[in-house]
Amino acid sequence: MERDDPILEVEDLVVRYGHRTVLDGVSFTVRRGEVLVILGGSGSGKTTLLRTLVGLIRPHSGRIVLMGEDVTTLSGARRRELRTRMGMCFQGSALLGSLTVADNVALPLREHTDLEESTIGIMTGIKLNLVGLAGFGDYLPSQLSGGMKKRAGIARATVMDPEIIFYDEPSAGLDPIVAAGIDRLIRKMQQAFGLTSVVVTHEMESVRLIADRVCMLHGGRVVGVGTLDELERLEHPWVRRFLSRQPDDEPGTDPDFLRSLTGAG
Amino acid sequence: MTRLAGAVGRWTLDLLQAGLRVSSLMVDTLAAVAATPFRGRSARGRAAVESFAEFGSRSLPIVGMISLLVGVIIALQSSYTLERWGAQRFIATLVAVSALREMAPLMTAILITGRSGSAITAEIGTMQVNEEIDALEVMGIDPIRYLVVPRFVAMVLAVPAVTVVSMFIMVAGGLFTSVWVVGVPGGVYLDQTVQSLVARDLVIGLTKSVFFGVAICWVGVYRGFQVRGGAGEVGRATTSSVVTSIFLVILIDLVFTVFFYFV
Repeated sequence: MERDDPILEVEDLVVRYGHRTVLDGVSFTVRRGEVLVILGGSGSGKTTLLRTLVGLIRPHSGRIVLMGEDVTTLSGARRRELRTRMGMCFQGSALLGSLTVADNVALPLREHTDLEESTIGIMTGIKLNLVGLAGFGDYLPSQLSGGMKKRAGIARATVMDPEIIFYDEPSAGLDPIVAAGIDRLIRKMQQAFGLTSVVVTHEMESVRLIADRVCMLHGGRVVGVGTLDELERLEHPWVRRFLSRQPDDEPGTDPDFLRSLTGAG
Repeated sequence: MTRLAGAVGRWTLDLLQAGLRVSSLMVDTLAAVAATPFRGRSARGRAAVESFAEFGSRSLPIVGMISLLVGVIIALQSSYTLERWGAQRFIATLVAVSALREMAPLMTAILITGRSGSAITAEIGTMQVNEEIDALEVMGIDPIRYLVVPRFVAMVLAVPAVTVVSMFIMVAGGLFTSVWVVGVPGGVYLDQTVQSLVARDLVIGLTKSVFFGVAICWVGVYRGFQVRGGAGEVGRATTSSVVTSIFLVILIDLVFTVFFYFV
């Protein structure tokens, strides 16, 4: 497999909520087999970007070519077919609360394949074992901890052996040890299966561990794409602040803000 | 004045838009039902059976209880008027006709709205909040097919089925009341019941109840999918689902009553 050939190309993507532009001309490429991290602060539009990439939000304009198909114009059946070749892990893991963990993981197989129930059982078991949840198949999602739910979500997203997987804030809300475990799992999935991974996060610790390349998002625009080393050499003031964990300028020192408080001017 | 006109205009537009979305939901559901939704997927068949048990069988105790009480009430109320003419045997007619044509379908629909229409909204609304609906979409699983179709099939079958039970129990309630309270012999009551009923009464009652089932399910599902935000929204949507359903049920009832009055 050619590692440099692009699996996902985003061109000049614009997303609007009403009159508010959330993503403004975003372009980047994801190469087959790499882990690309979309890094940005709160409100930078990174979750919106991910939801647009998987087709949950319709963009205002622009192109998203995923595995050779333009996601923005695909019809129902073709879109569903494409979706069986990708996986997504949601921030809250989004396991179906009414199904056991094993049934959650088996769901795509039951819906999209005609495999025997026994085969489905074995494949589900393998994936659960891979993410470290062997023996938890009969639990309901509500009985699992946050980290275990994330792992179950990863098992479900990879059960169809997808070519690309999207993670939305995989380590958000987890303690550092559990978060590191999830990071290692993401790396493991990529190394074991050559699984292309697109990870949205704001955690610098994760980025250092998992990223081949980083796409930095600020105010709905891409401010830099490259390895972490390349980004650290950028002169962009916001990138420098983000990477070195410096706060924004104190809002209280802004003269306009002071004037607005006193009502003068 | 302009503000008022604007508000009325906006309200009308919102209403039209909601109507449009509900219709497209209806079309999607019917298309999915028509496209053999159980094609080798025993899971969805099982879901429909499970929903039928939930909407139907498990509502029987409360529906039975209420139907018995309503039967007693109709009998007593009719007796109050009829005894002046010494025509108490016609209690049977009044109970039978009002139970089959009106009270059994209506009471059943209202109880199932409260029990299950609300539950459908709460369940789908919670799934919406937890991104479970999005997860289904991304897995390439159509939420309409996966979530709505089994509930729709179950609801459209369950409401008439429970209505039939309710009809029997209402008539029984009337029977007990006229035998033990008013003093009409049981044989006379049953004769009178059989004489006064025609197949048409049953058909009218059941036709209504099918449409009630359709309304309860669609309102429940639609309100559920509408939920955005958090748990508070789920509560609001559930309340609104019940109120809307009951209103629609009574509206449909009126339309059918007017229709069958003239036809």
